[in-house]
Amino acid sequence: MPNNELVEVLDLDQYKYDFRTDDKPVFRTEPGLSEDVVHAISAHKEEPEWMLEFRLKAYQLYLRKPMPTWGADLSDLENVLDQIYYYVRPQDRMKNSWEDVPDNIKTTFDKLGIPEAEQKVLAGVGAQYESEMVYHSLKKEWDEQGVIFDSIEDGLKNHPDIFRKYFASVIPPADNKFAALNSAVWSGGSFVYVPPGVHLDTPLQAYFRVNQERMGQFERTLIIIDEGAQAHYIEGCTAPVYSTESFHSGVIEIVVAKNARFRYTTIQNWSNNMYNLVTQRALVNERGTMEWLDGNLGSKATMKYPSCYLVGEEAHGSILSIAYAGDGQHQDTGGKVVHAASHTTSSIVSKSISKGTGRSSYRGLCKVYEGSTSARSNVECDALLINDTARTDTYPYIEIEEQSANVGHEATVSKIGDEQLFYLMSRGMSEEEAMALIVRGFIEPIAKQLPLEYAVELNRLIEIEMEGSVG
Amino acid sequence: MSDDAILTIEALKADVAAEELGILKALDLQVCKGEVHAIMGPNGSGKSTLAKVLMGHPGYRPTSGRALFDGSDLLAMEPHDRARAGMFLAFQYPVEVPGVSIANFLRTSMQSRLKEGDDLDLFDFQDLLLDRMKLLEMEPSFAERSVNDGFSGGEKKRNEILQMAVLKPKLVLMDETDSGLDIDALKVVASGVNTLRQEDPDMAIVLITHYQRILDYITPDVVHVMVDGRIVRSGGPEVALWLEEEGYASWREAEEQAAAI
Amino acid sequence: MAEAVADRLRRAEHEFGTGDLNGLDVARLGEGEPEWLARRRLHAWKVYETTPMPTERMEEWRYTDLAQRLSIDQLDVPSIVTLRDDPDTWPQSLKRAMGDDPETSGHLVLLGGSVVYTDIQPSLASQGVVLTSLRKAVEEHPELLKEHLATQAVPPEEGKLQALNAALWTDGIFLYVPRGVRLENPVRVTRWVSRADAAYFTRTLIIAEDTSQVSYVDEVLSEDLDSHALTSTSVEVIARDSAQVQYVAVQQLGRGVFYQSAQRTLADRDSTLDTLNVSLGATTTRVDLNARLLGPGASSNMLGLYFGDGDQHFDHNTSQDHLAPATHSDLLYKGALDGTSRSVFRGIIRVAEKAQQTDAYQTNRNLLLSGDARADSLPKLEIEADDVKCSHGASVGELDEEAIFYLMSRGLSRNQAERLVVLGFLGEVLQRLPLGGVGEKVTRAIEGKLRTGAHA
Repeated sequence: MPNNELVEVLDLDQYKYDFRTDDKPVFRTEPGLSEDVVHAISAHKEEPEWMLEFRLKAYQLYLRKPMPTWGADLSDLENVLDQIYYYVRPQDRMKNSWEDVPDNIKTTFDKLGIPEAEQKVLAGVGAQYESEMVYHSLKKEWDEQGVIFDSIEDGLKNHPDIFRKYFASVIPPADNKFAALNSAVWSGGSFVYVPPGVHLDTPLQAYFRVNQERMGQFERTLIIIDEGAQAHYIEGCTAPVYSTESFHSGVIEIVVAKNARFRYTTIQNWSNNMYNLVTQRALVNERGTMEWLDGNLGSKATMKYPSCYLVGEEAHGSILSIAYAGDGQHQDTGGKVVHAASHTTSSIVSKSISKGTGRSSYRGLCKVYEGSTSARSNVECDALLINDTARTDTYPYIEIEEQSANVGHEATVSKIGDEQLFYLMSRGMSEEEAMALIVRGFIEPIAKQLPLEYAVELNRLIEIEMEGSVG
Repeated sequence: MSDDAILTIEALKADVAAEELGILKALDLQVCKGEVHAIMGPNGSGKSTLAKVLMGHPGYRPTSGRALFDGSDLLAMEPHDRARAGMFLAFQYPVEVPGVSIANFLRTSMQSRLKEGDDLDLFDFQDLLLDRMKLLEMEPSFAERSVNDGFSGGEKKRNEILQMAVLKPKLVLMDETDSGLDIDALKVVASGVNTLRQEDPDMAIVLITHYQRILDYITPDVVHVMVDGRIVRSGGPEVALWLEEEGYASWREAEEQAAAI
Repeated sequence: MAEAVADRLRRAEHEFGTGDLNGLDVARLGEGEPEWLARRRLHAWKVYETTPMPTERMEEWRYTDLAQRLSIDQLDVPSIVTLRDDPDTWPQSLKRAMGDDPETSGHLVLLGGSVVYTDIQPSLASQGVVLTSLRKAVEEHPELLKEHLATQAVPPEEGKLQALNAALWTDGIFLYVPRGVRLENPVRVTRWVSRADAAYFTRTLIIAEDTSQVSYVDEVLSEDLDSHALTSTSVEVIARDSAQVQYVAVQQLGRGVFYQSAQRTLADRDSTLDTLNVSLGATTTRVDLNARLLGPGASSNMLGLYFGDGDQHFDHNTSQDHLAPATHSDLLYKGALDGTSRSVFRGIIRVAEKAQQTDAYQTNRNLLLSGDARADSLPKLEIEADDVKCSHGASVGELDEEAIFYLMSRGLSRNQAERLVVLGFLGEVLQRLPLGGVGEKVTRAIEGKLRTGAHA
């Protein structure tokens, strides 16, 4: 039986990615966080002294900064943070061939369909298991054109100049408590550099898997798209379901140079015991374009607001965000656009679906600094409520210091209308089928932006989630 | 009861679900295969209520009497089961479903009629859809538009006829399909219906309307006049013509006189 | 407990001008008042003392630095003076403002913190309509005041400034409309403050009983002051079943004044409770408006208009609380900003789980007329019911050049064209609440500002 079907058999209609792999990590730190843990991580990575200092400073910042009092309910998080493992090393060295990846880990990624996708549709693949990238590979043709697609650790080792120039320049450790935490204990993630003028016509993908219980994953990604270059990067995340909470906090820094174009797609489908607090930000230069496509389907609580800092004239930022909050989930997501140059444009489109006791919140900022003349921004948020225990919130912040700005925000909340349901049922669909169809129609404007495989997957997930939503 | 009966309504009473109004008051009606019945009546007579009750709209509640569709107890069935059994309601106000294409919508409707585990052959469906659109002289691109989203009144009604053509019902309830249509749009809709009737002579139609106009294009076998929740007179097409001249007011007068006696 | 209150009252300082605002003012004001009220003041003062001063770190005050804009501690509370009921002694500008008013059902005038004049049509008085000073109402309608004054609508616990007002109010307006009584013309209130370095605390309590109808227009005026002053009002409006109430506040204070108004409207079953806040004057304006839709079928239209120039700062903080099914609210706040003026709009729609079949809308539109003006807008939604229609929109933009050009092509100067467009933009708000004389008065005031500003 092929692996994918095996997965289906293991778990039919709940969470498809709930399978565990038995393995023994080669090293892990004691549960909880201390300065010793920070030292241990740095030592294991054989880092230069400046990085250790950076980590230790960030650790102090982390201790000083208060927990956010807004957004998702983080009242249990301090307990969780005391109990998780901050660093788990699953194998000795990262591999560039699947054949060399230990069997148990390779099986995991086989089940997730990663090697198969790599052959078919991707320019390169990175796979992170627990705290380390276990596999990283880039197709030869792109390697020859000077594209770098590496683990973040290898980026630091092999390209120290570019690395040091940009690392923590977009998101400094002091940005927020969890950026500080990530800066102290980061491990794994990608380092991407696309040289001037190179157009990657197929996506790079990084896949993040947490396997063990009570795990903290802190990947750090740095992406530089040089002048006139184009690329698309896809990130996927899953984990098995445990009764204890796990924690994921990534920092993604992106620099889009003049005339460059970059899209970053996330399909986050963490299990429902995961806290997912991520900082993602792109610095967009003159006439550059940054597109975030942010799909949040899983996790217990997600707080994640991809940002575009438009610092060059005519830079463009777009954020397409889709959130699904099922029973017990809180998706606190949205986006930020900061206009700091003239003739910059941006758009945010957010769609959320809340079902059962789920809650989805849109939280966004549109800021236009004085002197950023003729900036344009448009925000649209639509929320769909499936039943009367679900909840949705919209918290947009609009800060305009510039007269010539033109900024709009529109939001609607709706539920699946009885008339709509009856119309579809009068054509022969059951209530469940009718609901699923309406929900698919609702997310269609975003799903159609996804690569085909993901769109299909998204639709399938929605259908699974809609089962049993009636009554 | 005739062997050919597709719809038999006996002493049907119904209310709006939230209130006790008695909108339908002991209504009787029998429709046989291939017949066209027109139900005419003034506003508020209960015509549209009848259509919605027959299709199982949750906002209406039958309180007594019965309705048989093709031998089955219609009132006990869920709306989608009624559709799967071969009923079709052409809505007076077709509903907008943003983001769902007509093609996708119809494919899902067709799929829902199959047994569990059976898959609709997508190529067959595509052929069927194109064939039906050709029959109704519609552009293939129409099927890619979101259901009724941003449609004109005429487009919405044509979309209803297209669905009818694809789903091939045994009984069509047309709820004031003519309302809000100009004469050209009305002709297009009527010719679509007539084309489908030629194709399937057994298809029965209950045509609910306020005006005689549509009956110039879809010829009824029987015309019923409905006033105050009851059918008060049935006859041939001449009834409609008489109504057109005399108006509904004369029915009221006649009723009142009868009551006075 | 009663002993302690009496003791404090005995020890109270009677004279005006204790220098600083402090707890003694509370006792001074409470002197001679019934015990329940004196006690309520002391309680409010306690809340004031234990509530932290708002700072920009608090979400609700994120864009308004209160400490920098107002030194509460340095203001004193004028004593209650009984001015002669003699219009000849009133300031000219106050008389001018009143001269414009069309017919009224009644009129009340406040000078400083005290009511100096009340007038109600005898036919209405005989039907039981009450329009009087709050101090008089304490004596004449103690039961109504005990129940409603600073209790359900704007209790001290609402916030630091609300607590301060509840402790230190000197006078105010009490309007009571009995069951079924409908007032054809509006009730008008005109206020005038003239002293700098003073803090004026007043309250308004409006109760409209079942099926009654009343509209109320409150104008707040002053000349420009050479230093600080605070005008603080707490407004409580209660519409009983099927009552129809319109509350209008037109603020045209002079520069130097900090205008703070905490308003809450309580709408019972099938009532209509509409509000309009026009903010044109003062250096700083802070309006907190909370519309609570308490009974099924209740409805509130909430309108707002602001026009800033110079260094004016406006902060409108609104909430629409849907607490019963089938309730409706529709908010439209529009503002134009010139000079270095700045506006903040923060609005939230909250739909409680049981408030099904609710319609709630919220729109904030801003027009920036100068490169140094700034507008921040935070329209929020919190929805816990599923059968709702909710939407909100916010925008910030500049004048539409196409429209300006079109008007200019018909012979208008740029200034004329701009004025017309601004008036049209703001006029939409006034059109939604056609109330005798208010639209004209406000339009004139906006025209006056347009003339004196950079766009003249």
